[in-house]
Amino acid sequence: MSGRYLGRKLIQAIVTVVAIILLNFVLFRLMPGSPERALRNPHLTAEVIAGNRARWGLDKPLFPDQLVDYVQETLTGDLGYSIKYRGQPVTDVVLNAMGPTLLLIGLGEIVAIVIGLALGARSGWVRGGIVDRIGNGLSLIFYSMPYFVIGMPLIIIFAAGLHWFPTSGMTSPGGDKDLVATLFDLGRHLVLPLAAVSLGLIGAYSILMRASIIETRAEDYVTTARAKGLADSRILRAHAFPNALLPMVTLIAINLGYVVAGAITAEIVFTWPGLGTLTVQALDARDYPLLQAIFLIVAVSVVLANLAADIIYGYLDPRVRS
Amino acid sequence: MSVTGITGPGVRIEGLGRAGRRARGFLERVFGRTDGLVGIVILGLFTVLAIAPDLFVGPLQSIVTATGKPLEPPSAVHILGTDEVGRDMLNLTVHGARISMTIGLMATLITIFIGALVGVLSGYVGGFLDNVLMRISDFFLVLPTIVLALILAPIILDIIGPQAEFLGIRATLLVIVVVIGLTSWATTARVIRSQVLSLKERMFVDRARVIGSSSIRIMRRHILPNVVNLIVAQSVLTFATAVFTETTLAFIGLGDPTAPSWGELLNSAQSSGAPGLGAWWYIAPPAVSVVLVVLSFTLVGNALDDILNPKSGSRR
Repeated sequence: MSGRYLGRKLIQAIVTVVAIILLNFVLFRLMPGSPERALRNPHLTAEVIAGNRARWGLDKPLFPDQLVDYVQETLTGDLGYSIKYRGQPVTDVVLNAMGPTLLLIGLGEIVAIVIGLALGARSGWVRGGIVDRIGNGLSLIFYSMPYFVIGMPLIIIFAAGLHWFPTSGMTSPGGDKDLVATLFDLGRHLVLPLAAVSLGLIGAYSILMRASIIETRAEDYVTTARAKGLADSRILRAHAFPNALLPMVTLIAINLGYVVAGAITAEIVFTWPGLGTLTVQALDARDYPLLQAIFLIVAVSVVLANLAADIIYGYLDPRVRS
Repeated sequence: MSVTGITGPGVRIEGLGRAGRRARGFLERVFGRTDGLVGIVILGLFTVLAIAPDLFVGPLQSIVTATGKPLEPPSAVHILGTDEVGRDMLNLTVHGARISMTIGLMATLITIFIGALVGVLSGYVGGFLDNVLMRISDFFLVLPTIVLALILAPIILDIIGPQAEFLGIRATLLVIVVVIGLTSWATTARVIRSQVLSLKERMFVDRARVIGSSSIRIMRRHILPNVVNLIVAQSVLTFATAVFTETTLAFIGLGDPTAPSWGELLNSAQSSGAPGLGAWWYIAPPAVSVVLVVLSFTLVGNALDDILNPKSGSRR
């Protein structure tokens, strides 16, 4: 891969991350309830105020001193202390919540990529066929549903109605369980949130894959393969599918931001103890340090995923490198 | 003129003039698409509800004026049941149409205004300005509206105070509108910019430049009318995203409880434990409404985009 392509993408990613950190810095200083405002108390003596200002570093000018400090601390992973979680470091609180979210999104992506791509490819290959009509129709409907709107009926039917699965949480309370029982319990809790995230994603991926395969179908090499007398299913599998997959790499990565945001809302419905539930707690308590840390981590992950997609895409398709 | 042109239906079309012929062809193409037509009908229905909700279900019920018992299932009196304080779900859902769609409309206007402005400026002026504007749009393309709104909305709200009012609209709603508008213009800007880049090279723009028209005049009189098509198609698609985003933000808890949009209704359903209680009638009406409206806007938007956008004509 050419160094220039890689370099350009790398610079773009770094600029975006810097912009995110700057945004966080500016917002932190705009918002009410900051130490700066709390100090506007007529009963405090000038010395106390000055002492506190010095302790928090507020006596230094905003630029460059405070900014430099902020960037340094952010880069070393020091994001301040949570209000809601009684002064625990924000970094710890967020890291604890990341596991469940990664589990949900990771499995959801795998399920959705396998089913969504297969469904989209089939739909686009035989346009107007039965798979296309039903599959594409359902995909459009799921694509129009926020993940929590998919999740709520799932709870009503499969948890409240049929009692097949628990309504909320990630584990059942109480008892020392052996490994098998623990995993089974986790699995039972995971089914419905996973279904909500996967269904939403399948809708998106199948629509994108359908469009991509329709475009590929019109390519000359597909006509050539047909002229050679290859079986229809073989043309799809060996010729059209791999090529239609190319743009999907970027689309899946670009989608990641929406997936994270969507998974956050699905978590709320199922009280899944991940970043989503944490976000709502942070919002309710107006726990800004926590909220900013969640924003920072989600935003930076999305940027990194995009960078990864650009690199993979450049590697797969030589044409984009120039 | 050919013989068929004199005798056939072509004569009538000829009489309509060029603009009339184009309008007729356009309408035929829009109504020729079943998906677009279905979308238009559904949207028409919801628009009527949104314009005059009082006419259909009376004024918005509050806890004081609630007409039923808490969480009543659907019955003859309350066709869609009641919520946790006894308000009629049909009443709430119809009024929700007005709130959700008004927020969607206002957010769309801001989005399209910024998007069109950036797109035309960036494409026509080019150079350094183009570079800066496109890097900014990269930032907004990478970060989805919801992620940005999560941090922007509560902070802006705390700065101006949730009780503040502008032009009779409560700040909470306005903040959501502005945040959606400020964070979702990038796609529109990109689409319009690429069209402007190709328009800029056309002869009529060169001519205008040669006779001494200023850049601003060229953009206003020659470029803008030629991207109106795209602006229309983008507006409809943006409306879908705006309603979707508003629903999500209200559900997370950034909405205004006194102005229950569909997302806000789903938020109260969630916090009153309706899903676990199996109170499907509390969830289904707002949820189905959101899906129908978003789906319809997407269908109409895609149909318009196929017809109006020169770059996506053959995609379907």
